[in-house]
Amino acid sequence: MSHTERPPVEPLSDVAWSRVERGVWSRLDEGEDTARIRHATPRRWWLVATPFVAAAAAALLFLFLHSPSAPRTTLADAGPTRIVSEASPSSVSLGDAHIALDPHSAIVMSSHDTAPNVIVEQGAAWFSVEPRGSRPPFVVLAGDTRVRVIGTRFKVARSAERVQVTVDHGIVEIGYHGDVTRVTNGQVWSSDAPSSVIGMATPEVVTPEIEMPEMPATPQPLPTPKLASRPAQTQTATAAANDSDDRDALKYAELARLEASSPDAAMAGYLALAKGSGRWAPVALYAAGRLAADRHETRAATFLDIYLRRFPHGANADDARQLLGRLKGTP
Amino acid sequence: MAARTPREHDVALAQRAGGGDRAAQKELFHAQKQGVHHALFRVLGSNRELEDLLQDSFVAIFRALPSFRGESTLARWCQTIAMRTAFATIAKRRPALLELVEEQVADATPDVQRTMRAKDAVRRLYGALDKIEAKQRIAYALFAIDGRTLAEVAELTDSTVLAVKTRVWRARRELMRRARKDEVLAEYLTELGGDS
Repeated sequence: MSHTERPPVEPLSDVAWSRVERGVWSRLDEGEDTARIRHATPRRWWLVATPFVAAAAAALLFLFLHSPSAPRTTLADAGPTRIVSEASPSSVSLGDAHIALDPHSAIVMSSHDTAPNVIVEQGAAWFSVEPRGSRPPFVVLAGDTRVRVIGTRFKVARSAERVQVTVDHGIVEIGYHGDVTRVTNGQVWSSDAPSSVIGMATPEVVTPEIEMPEMPATPQPLPTPKLASRPAQTQTATAAANDSDDRDALKYAELARLEASSPDAAMAGYLALAKGSGRWAPVALYAAGRLAADRHETRAATFLDIYLRRFPHGANADDARQLLGRLKGTP
Repeated sequence: MAARTPREHDVALAQRAGGGDRAAQKELFHAQKQGVHHALFRVLGSNRELEDLLQDSFVAIFRALPSFRGESTLARWCQTIAMRTAFATIAKRRPALLELVEEQVADATPDVQRTMRAKDAVRRLYGALDKIEAKQRIAYALFAIDGRTLAEVAELTDSTVLAVKTRVWRARRELMRRARKDEVLAEYLTELGGDS
């Protein structure tokens, strides 16, 4: 084995730096006595309730808290543990829970009292959880999204503040901004369209042909969208979706999946989808703005401006305003 | 107008930032954040818990700015304060009890396997460092892992060169003792050196 090189210093993500910076200004503005506050109320960064840290996710791991083979004190007393995958996937087993990380992903596992947590910081991870029985449910928190599961295999993917949950089998409950959505076998849920669930006949194959147009320098004028009324719950949303919406939903799911591997193609697809008049057009336009912002492209502000002009009360309007404010340096 | 020297720039920026000028504070934060992060990462070994420590360090830096006189570079001065903050944190904290094992993917290439083995060695090293005294840990991390000179480590830790040399030696002796039953760690320590 050779270790001739010094171990690399892993960079902190832009989102993490934003959290640090905001925390510093906040504490300076409050005139906080650093030492005193820290001793009195030890902080955990993933618990800080800022919009960015809303991006944290927690999961109640592990049956084995109640398992004789895994002493309860071991995990309950454990500090947070961060697992990062680099260019290749990685996996971790804890008790009967198995977590497989996609490349370039990061999770943090810890515990609060008797409820262990898993935080999806970035990237994506598949969670395989045996039936929980009478034990505490397995819960994954990603940003504002809370995924609660009794026993299933599902994936939580995160890009900045956006979260997507894919259920292979089983049932999970997703809590998001006060709404609860049930997602079952082969369905996909996205925080970009939190009131909808995309059904897929074959969960692993979501690859409709997507025509990738030339990428315009600025988006073309969009037809006035007909925003679907927000369904009460997911199952009704799925039932109400027409064929066109289903096709767009599938396209959107594929584009979301493409973001990590082919961001240019994902961007082109979002812009093409945004030209439509369906319910997914505004969602795709916002996604284009978000993706452009993630990639530090100057046109991000243009996309978000157009989104807000056309859909000032859209499902992502608040997010678009926040992101736009950040891009323009507005606190 | 004659161009300012880097020292003059540092002092002027520190004065403006110390006076509460938010633009200057942001300029300082963005100019120093990578250096402070690098030093803290070397001491802790991962980004876990680092966000809190970075926040604490920069708050301490901004509060101490009025005392900056330019005797050292602003970068060195900021990292010195970060090391004090790190020491205060490490000295108090309880080491993690949970040991995680990262499984190796079946189709990992030799390069990936080598990288994973190296990461495992680093994980073992920092696991051992968790168990030694905070000042020794900081001195060893900056000298043996990060490759800084004894004089630089002494400046960063408000110590003398002799004190740093002693801490590095004691840290290495303790690490080697702990590595007697850990071949991976022993091999890594040998390759890493750290003889002061």
